[in-house]
Amino acid sequence: MLDLSNVSFSYNGDPAIDNLCLSVESGEFIGLIGANGSGKSTILKLAAGTLRPGAGEITLWGKAIHHYRDRDRAKLVSYLPQMLDVHVPFRVNELVRMGLYPYDIPPDLTPDEAVATVGLADKGDSLIGELSGGERRRAFLAMTLLQGAGILLLDEPLANLDIRFQIELMRLLKDLRHQKHISIVMALHDINLAFQFDKVYVVKEGRIITEGRPLETITRDLLREAFDVDVMIYHHENGTVSFGFERMEDKNGLR
Amino acid sequence: MKKQTLWMIIGSVCLAVLSLCVGPKWINPLQMDEVSRQILLSIRLPRVILSLLMGGALGASGAVLQGILRNPLADPYILGISSGAALLAALGLLLGSTAFGFFTIPVFAFVGAVLTGIAVGAMGYRRGGLWPERLLLAGVGVGFLFSSLLMLMMSLSSDEGMRRAILWIFGDLAMADWSLIPYGFVLILIGLILSLWRAKGLNALMLGDDIAHSLGFNPGRERWILFLAVGLMTAASVSMGGVVGFIGLLVPHIIRFVVGSDNRVLIPLSVVAGGALLCTADTIGRTAVAPMELPSGIITAVLGAPYFLYLLKQKDILGES
Repeated sequence: MLDLSNVSFSYNGDPAIDNLCLSVESGEFIGLIGANGSGKSTILKLAAGTLRPGAGEITLWGKAIHHYRDRDRAKLVSYLPQMLDVHVPFRVNELVRMGLYPYDIPPDLTPDEAVATVGLADKGDSLIGELSGGERRRAFLAMTLLQGAGILLLDEPLANLDIRFQIELMRLLKDLRHQKHISIVMALHDINLAFQFDKVYVVKEGRIITEGRPLETITRDLLREAFDVDVMIYHHENGTVSFGFERMEDKNGLR
Repeated sequence: MKKQTLWMIIGSVCLAVLSLCVGPKWINPLQMDEVSRQILLSIRLPRVILSLLMGGALGASGAVLQGILRNPLADPYILGISSGAALLAALGLLLGSTAFGFFTIPVFAFVGAVLTGIAVGAMGYRRGGLWPERLLLAGVGVGFLFSSLLMLMMSLSSDEGMRRAILWIFGDLAMADWSLIPYGFVLILIGLILSLWRAKGLNALMLGDDIAHSLGFNPGRERWILFLAVGLMTAASVSMGGVVGFIGLLVPHIIRFVVGSDNRVLIPLSVVAGGALLCTADTIGRTAVAPMELPSGIITAVLGAPYFLYLLKQKDILGES
């Protein structure tokens, strides 16, 4: 569906992405993992067509993404950035309906259904500024769902959310993937959630250092390479995974 | 919302009709003698139409600019367009130029507005698009520069020239004449059509450039079109009747309190409310202390600011409970 082939990109001459290859197939749930500043957001912006690569090619259903008309591209791929403006002066219903902007004839999903899907049915008339961080993110997600694109690119959608909202949003996205058969590519730096994905790409300094199924890919050595820290990984009998690191000493040598 | 919209339109029409009747001489449109007919058709009707056009253009421009700059304090004059128009218009007034006959001051003002708009647009342009922050800072910088030059020019000028320039700067509709209206109408109509055509894009821009792009818009192109629309409407307005403050800044906010922020509704209703407010202000300005006239810009602020502050107290537009 979406292919990035040998893509390179630089910001004002500073290389940000170096010879990157990534492909997204139908219904895949993909995580981009890496330290802050590793290039995850830039990869998503390139995949969304927001940035143009300096070298390489990005194709959507076999056609170069920049050859699509803006509205046609918006029907196939949608992107939600990490930073969402708190001071957007719209109500939830107004915001969500903007997901229909690329269409003359609206797709199957209705605005009310999109709002209900993200659990905000009772907040339709609320101003975006009145919502909590988690609700605001879900409101924007409802807009993105209404847009009806087959590929969702989400940049750190779990940032600034507490553990409950993180799990709720992750569950919602997994459900949507099954119900709507959409592909989701998500950037995150919290490795605790990495095992929820079908496939992870680990990014460091604008390059993908490894990719694969999380259980086989994420190892202590990999984390040391990607994040420059020594973290233990514990695989439990019930199938869950946890991470641990040494208790740190303070300046007085106390633990 | 539809009910409020309807009442707003009916109210504006009633105010416009009332403005035709009110003045130093009360005119009953159903019982007019020849003198009254002349006053109504030659003086009051063009003035009412001019105030509706100017107020409407300023209301729409304010709504569009607050959206593209993502700044609630933006108004049509923040881009320095009015300062450029005022500088050249004042130059014409102070020099007593009659280069274009009756159209001299409007032409000077329009040229000043357009040249300033182009300069600010060029300074706000970087890496293939208009950047809101650059545009805003360029506008503020140019505005300060031109205002300083204007003050310098006025402080060196004769008393009579300065009085006329001050009247014009605060909004002077006394020049209203049928000959001004067609050209102003065409420019404002083009600006308004462009604004309404790109109203969805403006809504999307208010969510940020990345989301606007994701929704199928080219943020750079949207901003150029909307900047052009604002430039046309502001230049036409300021060249016809001077710098009328308040409308472009606060009318869009007042309308937002009532109908929300969807620009497809906000822009046309800002036209209606801006037109009605300036029409009312001008009527008061030319009748309150007749035969003297008070500048419309002062009346609009005196009328509108308390109502805006009342709404600000009553409503919770940004959800700051």
